[in-house]
Amino acid sequence: MKGSLATSTVLHVLVLGFALSSFSAPRTLEVADVEALPVSIVPIEEITQMQQGDKTAPLAEIAAPIPTARPDPVADAENAGDNTVDLKSSKSAKPSPQEVVSEAPPKPAEKPVPVPEPAPKAPEPPQAAEAEPAPAPEKPAEPAPAPEEVAALPPESAPDPVAEAITEAEPAKPDFAALPSVGPVPQARPEPPKETAKAPAKPTAATETAKAPAKPAAAAETASTKDSDFNADEVAALLNKQDAKGGGAKRSTETASLGASRTTRGNTLSQSEMDALRGQIQRNWNIIPGMADGGDVRVTVTMKLDPSGNIVGQPDVVATGGSEGVRRTLSGSARRAVLKSQPYQLPQEKYDSWAEVVVNFDPSQMF
Amino acid sequence: MEQVGLAATSEVTLWSLFMQAGFVVKLVMLGLIGASIWTWAIVADKWVSFAKFRRQLDQFEQVFWSGQSLEELYRTLSDRKSSGMSAIFVSAMREWKKSFERGAKSPIGLQMRIDKAMDVTLAREADALEARLGSLATIGSAAPFIGLFGTVVGIMTSFQAIAGSKSTNLAVVAPGIAEALLATAIGLLAAIPAVIAYNKFSADAGKLSARMEGFTDEFSGILSRQIDERLSARPAAE
Repeated sequence: MKGSLATSTVLHVLVLGFALSSFSAPRTLEVADVEALPVSIVPIEEITQMQQGDKTAPLAEIAAPIPTARPDPVADAENAGDNTVDLKSSKSAKPSPQEVVSEAPPKPAEKPVPVPEPAPKAPEPPQAAEAEPAPAPEKPAEPAPAPEEVAALPPESAPDPVAEAITEAEPAKPDFAALPSVGPVPQARPEPPKETAKAPAKPTAATETAKAPAKPAAAAETASTKDSDFNADEVAALLNKQDAKGGGAKRSTETASLGASRTTRGNTLSQSEMDALRGQIQRNWNIIPGMADGGDVRVTVTMKLDPSGNIVGQPDVVATGGSEGVRRTLSGSARRAVLKSQPYQLPQEKYDSWAEVVVNFDPSQMF
Repeated sequence: MEQVGLAATSEVTLWSLFMQAGFVVKLVMLGLIGASIWTWAIVADKWVSFAKFRRQLDQFEQVFWSGQSLEELYRTLSDRKSSGMSAIFVSAMREWKKSFERGAKSPIGLQMRIDKAMDVTLAREADALEARLGSLATIGSAAPFIGLFGTVVGIMTSFQAIAGSKSTNLAVVAPGIAEALLATAIGLLAAIPAVIAYNKFSADAGKLSARMEGFTDEFSGILSRQIDERLSARPAAE
């Protein structure tokens, strides 16, 4: 045994010696350097929540557009610039007949009042007020001379108070008549009667009479009368097909800072606003307590709101879970709650986010 | 283990791996190398002794069945130190002689005594054949676990060192793990030959024991016949 032990030891020493001498460090593994790909997470708030400013200006603490030269502020101006009138972008510059009509009527309402006083020779207008349909046919006959007078007189000064009255009454009409010529005419008609309830005869009479003769005079009259000042701007705004960005009337004295052309608040309702909406609906939500298996029902109401907070059309009510009867009862109560809660008090500038609202009713906490 | 960080730049030879290892791992490695030496020593010893044993058996059988007188054979074999079948033969003959010199009366008692003597000798011889095979079995089964223990301890300490160095670079981690794995390698290196050798030598020992048992039975039969002949001859003579 001793001999074999010695043999084994010698053998091991030999093997280990050979291993230690021959098995040197293995060749180093060559690893190619791989460049890491940088990934950054960009929050979307940079796009959805912007402050008004200048796109090329450096970032500053206080958001401000490019300083404007004129310091006098214009109320409710949105676009920064040196204009006296806040010019909207091309979207609002598109002529809409309704807008024009709504602004024109106030003038006739004021003007016609003086007309009856200085005009003694017109006994029929009062009658016209009594019976509108009747005077109408008469009027065309009488006005017939008036156009002649108007056509003749304008170049000279107005000698006749009647003619003056007619011409004065007309100016409102001319542009009233002239502008609708661009858009649909019928829309202009319904407005005057509503506004001038006291003396509707005059305007109506005047319009009818003026329609034919007024047109030639319109160009000359609009320039001279003071109402035309307003209209010129309006027309200028309408004719301005350029983007009004930077041409508004909002004043700025701060140094320009990085920002968008207008402030975007993003589309998120704040927590308190959501709580307010929830509370508003919850106050009007009455459910019968003790309803069996009512806790399993979930009601989802989808409704479209207009900017004033009223529901457009019918809210879409979907109820799931529970039995048929309970579902019908609860979906009815949810619909009533939603309808009773209008108008919703929500921030006007975030209308985009609450144009469509989905309300989830969970009655399980109510029983 | 503080040098783990430095090991990244140093050589990763077997010797440096061994020297970098911690105390416990070193101890495990040395123990396993010792076990390996012991295994191979047993293997060499058994190899030689089994070959010798087999040769002796062959020789004895040749002589025994050659028709030589048992007395004569006993006389030549009793002088020298014998093993295997010759040892069994000698013990049986010795018992036979003692009984007949004192004039044993009972053939059954004599037969029993001779059988007992042969059994004892057979057991002793079989023991000698299987000696140290147990340690081979132990090394074969335990060495991998001992090596694994060394590896676990080595990796544990090397991770502790990595935590200390505050770097997860593979160059820092690798040497410690390589050094720890060396323990398992040595464990396997000791265990694999041990298992193979154990299987081979235990089978060989079984075969040799069976051969000796066969001879024992045969010799017992021969002696029993002899006893019957002698005892039947004696009363006839008296």
